[in-house]
Amino acid sequence: MLEIEGLTVEFLSQQHTHHSHSNLKVLDRVSLTVQKGEKWGIVGESGSGKSTLALTLMGMTQQSGIITGSVKFHGEELLDKTPDQWEKLRGSVISMVMQQSGEMLTPTLPLLEQVMEPYLKMYPGHKEQARISAGQFLERVGLNPSFFYRYPFTMSGGEVQRALLAMALITEPELLILDEPVSSLDARTKADILDLLEEVTAGCTVLVISHDLQSVTRLADRTAVLYCGAILETGQTKECLQEPAHPYTRALVRAYPTLEGTRELQGIRGEFPPLDQRPGGCPFHPRCTQALEICGRKRPELTGIGTNKQRLLSCHRGGVVELLRCEQVIQRYSLSGRAGRNYLSSTPAGGKDKKKARKEASRYLEAVRGVSLSLREGEVYALVGESGSGKSTLGRILAGVDRPYQGTVFFQGQSLGRMEAKEQKELNRNLQMLFQNSGEALSHRFNVYDLVVEPLQIQKIGDRESQKEAVLRSLEWVNLPTSEHFLHEYPHHLSGGELQRVALARALVMEPKVLVADEPSASLDASVQAKVIKLLLHLQNERGFALFLITHDLALAAKAGDRIGVMQQGCIVEEGPASRVIHDPQHPYTRSLLGWPGQNNSRVFPGKLERQMLLQD
Amino acid sequence: MHVNYWKELNKDRLGRKGLYMVALLGVVAAGAGWLAPHDPFAYVAPPLSAPSWSHPLGTNEVGQDIFSELLYGARTTLLVGSAAALFSTFFSLLLGLLAGLFRGWVERVLLRLVDVMLVIPVFLLALLVAAYVQPGEVTLVVLFAFLLWPPGARIIWAQVLSLRSQGHVAAARHFGAGTGYVALRHLVPELYPLLAVNFIQVVRRAVFMEAGMAFLGVFDPSQKSWGLMLHYARDFMFTDAWLWWLLPSALAISFTIIAFALVGYALEAALDPRLRRQTYVGN
Repeated sequence: MLEIEGLTVEFLSQQHTHHSHSNLKVLDRVSLTVQKGEKWGIVGESGSGKSTLALTLMGMTQQSGIITGSVKFHGEELLDKTPDQWEKLRGSVISMVMQQSGEMLTPTLPLLEQVMEPYLKMYPGHKEQARISAGQFLERVGLNPSFFYRYPFTMSGGEVQRALLAMALITEPELLILDEPVSSLDARTKADILDLLEEVTAGCTVLVISHDLQSVTRLADRTAVLYCGAILETGQTKECLQEPAHPYTRALVRAYPTLEGTRELQGIRGEFPPLDQRPGGCPFHPRCTQALEICGRKRPELTGIGTNKQRLLSCHRGGVVELLRCEQVIQRYSLSGRAGRNYLSSTPAGGKDKKKARKEASRYLEAVRGVSLSLREGEVYALVGESGSGKSTLGRILAGVDRPYQGTVFFQGQSLGRMEAKEQKELNRNLQMLFQNSGEALSHRFNVYDLVVEPLQIQKIGDRESQKEAVLRSLEWVNLPTSEHFLHEYPHHLSGGELQRVALARALVMEPKVLVADEPSASLDASVQAKVIKLLLHLQNERGFALFLITHDLALAAKAGDRIGVMQQGCIVEEGPASRVIHDPQHPYTRSLLGWPGQNNSRVFPGKLERQMLLQD
Repeated sequence: MHVNYWKELNKDRLGRKGLYMVALLGVVAAGAGWLAPHDPFAYVAPPLSAPSWSHPLGTNEVGQDIFSELLYGARTTLLVGSAAALFSTFFSLLLGLLAGLFRGWVERVLLRLVDVMLVIPVFLLALLVAAYVQPGEVTLVVLFAFLLWPPGARIIWAQVLSLRSQGHVAAARHFGAGTGYVALRHLVPELYPLLAVNFIQVVRRAVFMEAGMAFLGVFDPSQKSWGLMLHYARDFMFTDAWLWWLLPSALAISFTIIAFALVGYALEAALDPRLRRQTYVGN
């Protein structure tokens, strides 16, 4: 029904005398096809060009802007229309509920007359009909007759919004554009209006423009993500917002507060570019953590991804990159020798056959039994499970410290076991591990400087000066002092928290892509733990590295993780987005970890009162 | 973890005495040229003179001043002992590291070699070899270096096995460090205390063996050595000369061995926290 093709809108800059490049490009080659009955959401930050798109569709940018491309409505080119023709279309075939709705009503006219106005424009002279129709629509949007003759300034924001909606609907338009329909309303009114919008837009073709992801999720089946006037990603709203493919979409989702979400909010790194300094190439590349050289040079085309190519993505890297993947990893330890015999004799034996089978099976201790998972750029994967569930073993395998008995680990698509010397060197740089016991992982014969600079020296990166710079920068990242005095401290002079942060600084000094952190905060008190975790998340946001966080603390996993994997006896029994796993756990083991009732998780220690009563009995 | 060995030694009552004794030996050996009243090789008085003011310990059977011989003997003893210990400790380190770092056949061959060497009576073997080549200081040092490494190598091998599984070694390897780097930066520094103890123990053994071999006459007779002095003095047991000839050299040997033993034990105690606590109590 609506076909937007390569739509570019530029405005003449006010200060074009100062700048040689004077045009402000607000929309850049936007293409979007809206079928009849579809509900599209356009999301993006303020300044991304959402409203300009809406206004262009309403023919309201023609005077001030330079518009190229094409917008076809039922096959008819809209951009060629004269202002008179627009006047006819506007408010009747295409209508719009504007942003900042309070100013859209005339304070001097009663409500009913204002709502009649578009109807009268469409059917001039039918005043009585218009009055009846306006009344009907006002009641439909929940405004009873007592409102009909009130003036706009006596009404609340929600009521004005309802009135505007009635005004937009009265002509029964083919395309309804909602520009930030609920963003300035309070939560209660917002919910009411969203309910109403859902109800009254059923069957209509709707374009919802909003920075409010919640309202888009409610109102739109399909979503296009707009950034700096360019569409970065389109697709089913649910897919788009739950499994964002573009780094920007993911960052946007992460920045948005929800009640279900458990993760800490994170802003998008960098600043939204001002209109006159729009970046070339992919507009998001200066803020993107996985940008390549090409991203700054060439604008990526929108191409279909996924199985049915229904989802369109504009990214040179094919969306968020997968950094680490493991397939069917099995790790087992032989139980021969005295330790093994002790272990075997301690396991209860059954019948003869059973005994034999058990003996066969338990000759090896399987610490990890067939785990497959993937870790994407900028993602935090939190692996939880009780001690002995094989978390650390899996972590060591993922980090390439240990080789698995079976299965493969891929780093950026390359198998960890089979690498050329050069690739291996790259890997050693990009894949880092923060060992569980940092005190042990730091040689007590090295001072802080030697400890942190060690990876650089081993990899022979840079000269003495640049190494020193890197060390100081890394120490600054982890909030440690950079004084000469501190650099010459030895591990036994430092506290547990400081040691942990020195280990972290060492892991970060080569600026890795992936960090496998094994219980990074287990030995720390709550305050320092919060600092270390905050720091990791901050760096992750800033530097886009992926974090594989191993922890036994589910609360921590919920706060830090994008995804949570639950490990039990060497298997991942549940995996999913953090909020889903926390609020709707599927596996009984996850529920018991969360302390759900009826999951064999009775309190181990009786409370003080209960204990006293027990004693009295 | 950081133990100031010097401090620990000083805290240990016996260890401190051992240090003083070793220091005294060092001073005597270094300053023999100034301290000795006479040239030990010169015939300065009638043979077998009794002690006098000019010859505190009398003279030997060819008229050389025994006191000067004694001072110069310290030089030989310390030189042979420490050089032998240095080289043999180096071999211990090298072979222990190799065995510990390269598991598999390297380890098996080296460990069996150690077993074989441990079974052989070292002193007898040394005597046998020395009987064929009339040995001087250098020969003895080489001989001892090749004979005294096995116990140290085995201890170092065991320590390397435990060290290589430690976190910081795993971390360094994970940063892409090669075996050489790991050995030099991470293992050898951790081995320093073990090496120090080993060194002291080997000095003690080497001093004893040198004295023993010289006593049995398997040593370059033109050198000055306490063992040689014993060897020659033995022939004059029937006179009173053994009192100022045999006895002082025997005492000097004992003194040296006791000195190194004391330092060795104190070092070992400083290394092992369990032993260390006992020394604190005894203090």
